[in-house]
Amino acid sequence: MKSLCLAVSATLFAFASPLALAENERSAEATSSAQTLVTAKVNGMVCDFCARAVTKVFGKEAAVENVHVDLDNGEIHVTLKSGTDLSDERVATLVKKSGYDLVSIARDAA
Amino acid sequence: MKSIQYAGLALAIGFAGSIQCAEARPVSYPSGWTVMQMNNGDMSSIHVHYSPTYSDSIGLYSERNWDADWHFTGVQYNRLVKRWNRAGSQANLYFKVGAGQADPFGDGADVEAAGFVGLGADWETRRWFVAYEGRAYDLGFTQDARQSARIGIAPYIGDYGDLHTWLMLQVENQPESETPTTLTPLVRFFYDVQLLEIGYTPETEELMLNWIVRF
Repeated sequence: MKSLCLAVSATLFAFASPLALAENERSAEATSSAQTLVTAKVNGMVCDFCARAVTKVFGKEAAVENVHVDLDNGEIHVTLKSGTDLSDERVATLVKKSGYDLVSIARDAA
Repeated sequence: MKSIQYAGLALAIGFAGSIQCAEARPVSYPSGWTVMQMNNGDMSSIHVHYSPTYSDSIGLYSERNWDADWHFTGVQYNRLVKRWNRAGSQANLYFKVGAGQADPFGDGADVEAAGFVGLGADWETRRWFVAYEGRAYDLGFTQDARQSARIGIAPYIGDYGDLHTWLMLQVENQPESETPTTLTPLVRFFYDVQLLEIGYTPETEELMLNWIVRF
């Protein structure tokens, strides 16, 4: 009887372990696939052409999935690809390269 | 001596007040190309330039001046000297220089080395637009100069990607022209990468048609 219990336990463990591991992997994957939304507030962005410049410059970055410009609030909304990052220093450089002045940076989950 | 030099420089810049219309910005975003085609009854021009950075552009410029009977073709360099970025506004100061050749078309005269210098300035919000530009030419066989200023208002504020419309008034001064000072009301349409301006100058009964595309 004891050997039967051990056999059943071993069988259950053998099946359960891969399931638990898969669950852990899915959880880790979900964490790393979370997208980041970077909001850069800038000065001087007053026209469509300004917005186009920003879109072109940020759009060339490998980490950038999407760029949206809010002219009303002078904000650039950058959605990053899963598992990538764009440092504050890089954001500042890209804003400067576009011809505008960075005021602040905020980050949220997309 | 220094004050004389400064006075000379100021005079030169003042004379440099020859402008093409107070046009759109002469620089683009990094790696951007721009084609500008300007027409009014006095001149037609085309300027194609490439911007390696947001503050520089270099390209080709060709102008046929119907009023003064000359044709210039050359290389033009534009430099954003200073930009003032503020919350809700932007102002710019530009320097322009061109070098090439010119000829007084129609009389078989020789082609001569020619060049020009110019200054431009603008201030813009989403509602208001003000600009000035001056340019002076040395064409070898003659000299020419003109300057212009603009004020504009957007009747509505569009979002990014919308059709933007501006109502503008341009005053232009060309000392050597038959009608030295003219006033041109115009409408500017700006959509996507295209900019189109249509205006009319009552004093000379001439149509203005400008077109700019950036890519």
